[in-house]
Amino acid sequence: MKKVKITINDKPYEVDDGQTIMQAADKLGFHIPRLCYHPKLSIEGACRVCIVQVEGMRNYVASCAYPVSDGMKIQTNTEEIRQARRDIVELILDNHPEDCHTCERDGICELQRLAHLTGMRHRHFEGEKKHYDKDLSSPSVVRDPNKCVLCGRCVRLCSEVQNVHALGHAHRGFRTAVMPAYNMPFSESVCTACGQCINVCPTAAFVEKNFTQELYPKMSDKSLIKIAQVAPSVRAAIGEAFGLEPGRTMELQTVAALRRLGFDYVFDTQFSADLTIMEEASEFLERLQGKGKLPMITSCSSAWMKCVEQFHPDLLENISTCKSPMSMMGAIIRTYFAEKIKKRPEEIVSVAVMCCTAKKYEAARPELMVNGLPAVDMVITTREIAWMIKSAGIDFVNIKGEHFDEPLGLSSGAGTIFGTTGGVMEAALRTAYELYTGETLMDIEIQDIRGLKGIKVGKIVMDGKEIRVAVAHGLGNASKLLDEVRRDPEKYHFIEIMGCPGGCIGGGGQPYAGSNSIPLDEECLKKRAEALYGLDRNKTIRRSHQNPDVQRIYKEFLGRPLSATAHRILHTHYQAKKPCGIIPRELQVR
Amino acid sequence: MSRKYSITICDGPTCLHKKSKELGAAIEQCLKEHGLTDKVRINLSGCLGMCAKGPIMIINPGYTIYGGVTAGDVAEIIEKHIIKNKPVSRLAIEEDHLYNRFFRVFGDVNFFGKQLRIVLRNCGIIDPESIDDYLSVRGYEALARVLTEMKPSDVIDEVKKAGLRGRGGAGFPTGTKWFLTARETSDEKFVICNADEGDPGAFMDRSTIEGDPHSVIEGMCVGGYAVGAKKGFIYIRAEYPLAIKRLEKAIADAKNEGFLGDKIMGSDFSFDIEIRLGAGAFVCGEETALIHSIEGHRGMPRPRPPYPSVQGVFNKPTLINNVETWANIPVVILDGAEWFKSIGTEKSKGTKVFALAGKIKNTGLIEVPMGITLRSIIYDIGGGIPNNKKFKALQTGGPSGGCLSEEYLDTKIDYDSLAQAGSIMGSGGMIVLDEDTCMVNIAKFFLEFTENESCGKCAPCREGTKRMLEILTRITEGKGEDDDIKKLERLGKLIQKASLCGLGQSAPNPVLSTLKNFRSEYEEHIKEKKCRAKVCSALLGYEISEKCIGCTACKKVCPTGAISGIQKSRHVIDQSKCIRCGACFEACKFNAIKRT
Amino acid sequence: MLTPLEIVKKKRAEAINRIVGKGYLSTKRVYVGMATCEIAAGSKDVMEVFQTAIKNGLTDVYLSQKGCAGRCNLEPTVEVVEEGCIPVKYGRVSRDMAHQIIERHLKKGEIIEEWVIR
Repeated sequence: MKKVKITINDKPYEVDDGQTIMQAADKLGFHIPRLCYHPKLSIEGACRVCIVQVEGMRNYVASCAYPVSDGMKIQTNTEEIRQARRDIVELILDNHPEDCHTCERDGICELQRLAHLTGMRHRHFEGEKKHYDKDLSSPSVVRDPNKCVLCGRCVRLCSEVQNVHALGHAHRGFRTAVMPAYNMPFSESVCTACGQCINVCPTAAFVEKNFTQELYPKMSDKSLIKIAQVAPSVRAAIGEAFGLEPGRTMELQTVAALRRLGFDYVFDTQFSADLTIMEEASEFLERLQGKGKLPMITSCSSAWMKCVEQFHPDLLENISTCKSPMSMMGAIIRTYFAEKIKKRPEEIVSVAVMCCTAKKYEAARPELMVNGLPAVDMVITTREIAWMIKSAGIDFVNIKGEHFDEPLGLSSGAGTIFGTTGGVMEAALRTAYELYTGETLMDIEIQDIRGLKGIKVGKIVMDGKEIRVAVAHGLGNASKLLDEVRRDPEKYHFIEIMGCPGGCIGGGGQPYAGSNSIPLDEECLKKRAEALYGLDRNKTIRRSHQNPDVQRIYKEFLGRPLSATAHRILHTHYQAKKPCGIIPRELQVR
Repeated sequence: MSRKYSITICDGPTCLHKKSKELGAAIEQCLKEHGLTDKVRINLSGCLGMCAKGPIMIINPGYTIYGGVTAGDVAEIIEKHIIKNKPVSRLAIEEDHLYNRFFRVFGDVNFFGKQLRIVLRNCGIIDPESIDDYLSVRGYEALARVLTEMKPSDVIDEVKKAGLRGRGGAGFPTGTKWFLTARETSDEKFVICNADEGDPGAFMDRSTIEGDPHSVIEGMCVGGYAVGAKKGFIYIRAEYPLAIKRLEKAIADAKNEGFLGDKIMGSDFSFDIEIRLGAGAFVCGEETALIHSIEGHRGMPRPRPPYPSVQGVFNKPTLINNVETWANIPVVILDGAEWFKSIGTEKSKGTKVFALAGKIKNTGLIEVPMGITLRSIIYDIGGGIPNNKKFKALQTGGPSGGCLSEEYLDTKIDYDSLAQAGSIMGSGGMIVLDEDTCMVNIAKFFLEFTENESCGKCAPCREGTKRMLEILTRITEGKGEDDDIKKLERLGKLIQKASLCGLGQSAPNPVLSTLKNFRSEYEEHIKEKKCRAKVCSALLGYEISEKCIGCTACKKVCPTGAISGIQKSRHVIDQSKCIRCGACFEACKFNAIKRT
Repeated sequence: MLTPLEIVKKKRAEAINRIVGKGYLSTKRVYVGMATCEIAAGSKDVMEVFQTAIKNGLTDVYLSQKGCAGRCNLEPTVEVVEEGCIPVKYGRVSRDMAHQIIERHLKKGEIIEEWVIR
C-alpha cells in the first residue's frame, strides 16, 4: 500500500494512500466530530460537522469524503474551525425541540454529545422551528420528524443495507423532512418494522412504540396472571443498558429482575426455540422427501416475513409454516400452560421481552391468534425492560440471579444460539441430522455458517445425501440470496434469513450504542454472538430434541411433530400483501 | 429618407492603437464634401475580432470588409465604393468568420456595435426550426471537419489552446475537463448539456436554444467524439416549452440528415442525444444534483471528489458543460483556437452572453468580449439609466452573485476580476439598480430565492440561509438589532465555506457584497430605522405637504384614524398612530403626501 | 466514399439551393421574432398578420421566423431585409403596425422611420 506524507495540526504523519482524511485521522487517534458519517453506509457529506481546514482550499473540506494526498496540510482544531463546527451544530439545534428532559434519548443522544463537544453556551441564531406531526401509526416504530437532524442515515440504511427503501427525503430547504413516500403513515408503507432506523438514528427521531405505560396497569392487576418470556438476544445485550461491556450474559439477573417487577412466571423463549426446531426440522425432512417446496426458508424473523409478503410473494410456498418461537410460546401458554395451572386463557397477560421491534407488529397479526386471543398480548423491547428495571430501582448488576420457571423454562444450546445469524440453521441441522440418520452429529459447531459475512453457505452430508444450506442476515443480503435462488432453485436445500444485520442480536430493540461506540458496530455484534455461543458451549444439552421438557410437551399435549394439534397451534400461513407504492415483480422493468 | 450605406469602423483597442479614430473624422469630412452626409451612416463598433488586419472598416450592404485602412484611403473608398458602387479591391479582405454574420444583416449597430456575437451568431438571423438555414450558415461543418481531419486528441488540444472556460458560472477550463474525461477508460461514457438555467431572470441559455438549437447539438457531437462518448443528455428545465419543442425538432431533423445516430456522415462515430426535463428545482442545475436527477434519484448534490469526469451519470465518466460552452465549440473548431484566444483577457478568453435588465434604457441579451468594462456595458450598450436617475449598483451572477457599486464600474469583465471585486460572473445575469433601489431589500430578495431552493441536504445551507433571511426580514421591518450585521457576516462566511455545493457556497454572496459595498444602508435600517431608497414600507414615514387642498381622501382611507383635518385645509398625520401602510399615499391625487 | 467534410458541403449547397428557390435572394425577406419573450409581447399576432396577407395574395415576400434578437424592451421585432440594402428593423410592432408595414413598406417600398430601431 502506497504511503503519503500529511500533516495534521502541524505534526507530520505517514499514512496509507487511498483513504479519506477521516479514516486516516481515526487510525492516528484523532476523532473528528461527525454526525452523518457511518462506516457501513455510503458517504453522504451532509452534516458538515466533520469539516476540517486543508491548506490551499478556500472552503472547508468534509473529512469523511475528501481523500488524503501527499503533502496535504490539515487543521482539525483551530479557533476558526472550532467556531465553524460550533455554529453548524447550533444551526441544527436551533431547528430541534428543546425538550431533552422529556426525551427518550436524554443522556444517550448523539446530538447532545456534539453540543457538549463543541462547547455551546449561547444561542445566536434562534428563529422559527419546523413543525411536523408525529407518526404513531405503526405498532413498532414511532417517527418524529421534529427531532430529525437530516443526517440521512436512516434513508441510506433502509435502502443500501436493508433494500426496503421505505424512507426518503421530501420537500426542500427549511421544510426538508425524511418520510415514507407521500408522507403516508408508516403502517401503510413498505416498512418491515425491523427497527434498524431506530438503531442508527442519532436522536429520538425514530423510537420504538413504547408499551410500558400499557403494561403497568396490568402488572398491578391482581386478578391476572402475568407471564413473561425472554428472547435469547435480550440476555446477551441487556447489560449494555446498565453500562456493562458488550458480551456479558445477564440471563439469571434478567429472570430475577422480571420476577421483582411482578411477573408470576418467567419463561424462556429458547424453550420454544427448541420446539420450533422440532417442528421445522421435521418439516424440512418431509420436504426433502418431496412433500413440499425446496429450498425451505425459515420464518422466525417478523421483519423478514413482512418483506416476503410484500416483495417476494413468489417464494411464499418455500417459507416454513412454523410460527416464530415467540408466537409458539404464546400459543403454548394460552393452551397447554393455561390448562396446566387451571386458569382461563383470558386471565393470562402474556408479555414477550424481545430484542425486536418487528415482533410488536407480529404480535398484532390476526393469523397468529389462538382461540380468539392474541398469542402474545404485548412485546417489550430490551430498551423498554431495561428502563422498567431502572425505574423500579432494581440493582440489576448486583442482584442474585434466578432460574426460569418450569415447564417452559429449560432450553438446549441449540435454542440459545437462535439469537445470532446462522444459529437457527445450526440448531435445525443438529436435530435434522440426527432425526434423519439416527446418529449423533459430532461436529456440532458448524463454523461455516457462523460470523458476520452477509451471505454464508455451508453443507452437511446426511447418509450420503449432500444438503446445501445458506444463511443471510439483513434484508439486502436476503434479497441477493433470493435472486440466486430464483436463478437456480436447486442450489440450496435450506435457507435461514434474519432481517437484521447480525441476526436478532442486532435487532431494533437492543440497547443504544454507548458514547464510545457506533450503532451496528461489528465488534459489539461479535461479542453479543460470542455470549450466546458461550452459553451453548456450557450447556450439557445442546440439541433441541434432547430437551426433556420438549419431549414431555409432545408426550402430554402435542403428540408428535407436525401432528394435527401441532399444526393447529404451532403453524400458520402467509399471504401476499400489496402496500402502497409497490410495483409487483411481474410488472417491474429490469 | 433612410440611409443607403452604413460604414462601420472598428473601435476595438488594437484598431484604436492603429489610429482608427482619424478614420471617423476623415470619413465625415469626405462625406460632407460630397454632400452624402444624409445618405451614409457612420457606426463605431467594438472589437470585430480581425485585429491583425486592422484598422477595420465594413461597408454595408454587401458586407465589404476593408483592412489596414488609413485616413488617406478614405477618399478613394468613398468615391469608388459609395458613389460608383465599385469596391476597392486592393483594400478589401476576405473573412468568412461565423461570428461576423450579424454585421451583414443587423441594422441597429448602436446596440450591437460593441458586441461580438459568437454564441448568438445565428440568433435573430436564421429560422431556428429550419436545418436548411443552419446548414446554409456553415452548420455541421465543424463536426464534419472534426470527423474528417482530426483525432479526438487533436480536438481536445484545440479546445485547450483556445482557453475556453465553462460558461455555467464556475469558469473551469473546458479543455482540461475534456482531457480528464477522455483519459478515463470505461465501456461507456456520457456527455451532458446543462440547460437547467435556474437563475431567476436569466434567459441566455433559453435564447440560445430557441434561436439556434443546432449549435448546441453540433457542439455536443464534437464533445462526444473528443471524449469517446456515444450518448448525450440535454437536461432542460420543463419551464421552457418552446425551447424543448425546438430542440426536439432539431434533434429529429439532425437524425434525418445523418448528423446524429449511427455512423455519422459515414464515419465510425455514432452519437445520440436524449432530452430530459427538469421539474422546477434550482439545485438541479448543480452538476452532481443534475446527474442524480437523470438517474432517477432525488436531485441532491454529493461531495466531490469523485468528479463527474471520473464517476458521473450511471457511475460512468461524464462530460457535463453548459449550453453556452457547447455553442462556442463549432466556432472554436472552424475559426480556430488561435483566433478565439485573441479575444478576451489573458485568463478569460472569448465572449460572454449577459442578460441586461433592471433600471436601464436598453434591456436585452448581449454578448460581449471579455475585458469590456462594466461602464461600457451600462452606458454604451445599455444606453444608461432612464429618467435621469443615478446609478447605484450592478448585480451580476444572479442569486449567487454580488452587487458592485460605482467604484467598480471600470472593472474589466472576466472571471477573476469579478471574483476579486466581490461578485461572480455566474451564468450571465446583469441587473442594473438605481438610487430608488434598497440594497437591503435586494439582498433579501435574492436570499429568499436561494433559501427556498436549497435542497436541504446540508445543515449550513438549509438552516443557515433561513436564519440569515429571518435577520434580513427583521431589518426590513424595522426590527433590526445592534449585532445583526455581525451575525449576518458570521453566518454568511460560515455558509460560504462549509456548504456542500455551489448553491450554498454562493447563497450569502448578495448579502455579503451589499454589506461590504453598502454597509451604511444597513446601518441606517437598523439604527435609524430608515430606508433611504424609500422601499421598505415599514420604515417609511409619511407627511402631508403644503400641496394638500383638504380633499379628505386620505383621511377616509386611513385604517387607524391617524389623519386629522377639516375640509379645504391642510391635513396632518399623527405619527404615533401611523402604521405606515401607505394607503393615504395611494389615495392622494395631488401628490401632497411625501414619503420620508 | 465521400468524407464527412465533402458530405456537409454538398448538403449545404443543396440547402442553399432550396432556400434560394423559395425566393430568398429575389424578394423582400421578412423576419418576425418568435422567441418566448417575443411571443409573450405579442409576436404571434404579428406573424399571423403576415401569414394571412401572403395567403390573401401578397407576393414577393419571404416570410420566416427568427430566434431571440436580444432587444428585450423593443419586442415584438420585425426585420425587413432586401439583398443590396441595409436591413430595416422595426420595434414594438403591433397588429396595426404590421398591416401598415405590409401596405407601406412591402408594397410601396416606404421605410417607416418612426418605428425603426436605430
